[in-house]
Amino acid sequence: MILTGLALLLLVLLGTPLFAVIAASALLAFSRADVDLTVVVIEVYRLAEMPVLLAIPLFTFAGYLLAESRAPQRLVRITNALLGWLPGGLAAVVLVVCALFTAFTGASGITIVALGALLYPALMQAGYPERFSLGLITTSGSIGLLFAPSLPLILYGVVAQQLNIGQPVSIGDLFIAGILPGILIILLLAVWGLWQRRGHDIPLARFSAREALAAVRVAAWELPLPVIVLGGIYSGFFAVSEAAAVTALYVLIVEVIIHREIRLADLPKVMRESMVLVGAILIVLGMSLASTNYLLDAEIPVKLFAYIREHVHDAVGFLLLLSLFLLLLGMMLDIFSALVIMVPLILPIAVGYGIHPIHLGIIFLATMEIGYLLPPIGMNLFIASYRLNRPVLEVFRSVLPFIAILIVAALVITYWPWLSLGLLGYR
Amino acid sequence: MPTRRLPPALARLIHIVTWIENGLLIALLALMVSLAGAQILLRNLFDVSILDVDQLLRLLVLWVALLGAVAASREGKHIRVDVISRWFPARVRAGTQALTDIFTIGVCLVLAWQAVRFIRAEAGVTAFGTLPGWIAELILPVAFALIALRYSLLLAHHVRQSLGREEIP
Repeated sequence: MILTGLALLLLVLLGTPLFAVIAASALLAFSRADVDLTVVVIEVYRLAEMPVLLAIPLFTFAGYLLAESRAPQRLVRITNALLGWLPGGLAAVVLVVCALFTAFTGASGITIVALGALLYPALMQAGYPERFSLGLITTSGSIGLLFAPSLPLILYGVVAQQLNIGQPVSIGDLFIAGILPGILIILLLAVWGLWQRRGHDIPLARFSAREALAAVRVAAWELPLPVIVLGGIYSGFFAVSEAAAVTALYVLIVEVIIHREIRLADLPKVMRESMVLVGAILIVLGMSLASTNYLLDAEIPVKLFAYIREHVHDAVGFLLLLSLFLLLLGMMLDIFSALVIMVPLILPIAVGYGIHPIHLGIIFLATMEIGYLLPPIGMNLFIASYRLNRPVLEVFRSVLPFIAILIVAALVITYWPWLSLGLLGYR
Repeated sequence: MPTRRLPPALARLIHIVTWIENGLLIALLALMVSLAGAQILLRNLFDVSILDVDQLLRLLVLWVALLGAVAASREGKHIRVDVISRWFPARVRAGTQALTDIFTIGVCLVLAWQAVRFIRAEAGVTAFGTLPGWIAELILPVAFALIALRYSLLLAHHVRQSLGREEIP
């Protein structure tokens, strides 16, 4: 059993698609337990029995449409008009724009591709040091994961709902829980941006009401979008999947028919590309439904909890261990696979230590998010290096202070549950 | 994925399969977006909800996800951890890729076979409304078989690359 485990691990490290390795481990485990192997396929078929999942293809499609249109430019213009005149304003603009954009597109690197080449020269032009600008753009590719309707938040809710842990984990609650921690991350990074200005004589831009109005007018069609999505979900008017459907239709109409920035002939390409991402995520989810089923049958989380309990006595120690583990995990695994593979193991243990499942989800994402900036996987490093034509090592050096700030933020989020749960009225 | 080294008849067949995969994926996503939109309009404006549409939408998620996974196989875009092979010399890397291709093909064939058994066991069951279960479930064996097919094509390339008979892009 240990030998098969090692062989599977080797296959993972050699670059075997994760879904195949997870499927193989589920097949092996069930065959050892003398369970009919159709169970694996039956679990995959359960993808058709979860109503929330509908939100994933629809939001992804909408995100790809937005990325393909000139919405990113309009978003930059309006944010710049509203915030650009503040000291450290442009850095804040980058953070807010990227966070909003990532929330809608999922942290799959699209943010850096769509916005990086636009914002990077702007930062340098405004007098920010080159290293800071590079680091800021690279980091901004994944902040915003905590804001609705980000895919990882939805996926965490989906996985957590499969586990029957006794407390409900609604995706709407997760969306609310992410607000304050998400703002904390942006604020800390914005303060760092402000600090960069010391000693440099960066002229302040002036606020222009005329430009602000013009920017609002240009973006008039996209502005209602966050209101529809967030307002709709937070007020309970829409279920999450309904908000996704409205978003997809709305974006489709605005970008294809009203702005005409995506030609009808290009639409199939955008549809297909967005569904490649959806397929890659959901097939891993499908397989891990099977492996999770086995884990629960074999009571592995319970045994694991009993084992850890012997060595770690309180929640404080457990959370520290968890932070370290998630940081390491984030270096190896992308956030989607990490969610579907590890949450079934970690969540029951965390609940055993009295940690609220919603709080755990926010901890999970806030910590895993740092992995985007760490080698060897560090997706943002490679995308920024590619997009901005800078060596990966230079990009990595530029993000070091940002990594430190994100770690501080993740620790605050971990040890201050109120930040995640306060708005929900728990505790 | 280049098919120019394949026999023309096979290359043509794969071309047609690719076209069908793409067409179906795009058509089903379009159907999903329109149905989901229509359902909301009906529910909020007329307070009507069509039960079968909800179930159809859920089924569409499965179909779109699996067809998307097939497309991801074609483009090598599956989620994977690529930490070691990145540092290998190009031909060695092609060799280890061939190895992981074989593994993936094997797993997908087992899954396709189990899916066929699943459908047989469910013969006569209806999925919802009047839709027979086997139609709803058909995508499972088909998708796994197609993923195996895609990885077989990749395997052919990787083997040739590792033997030095094909340039490595």
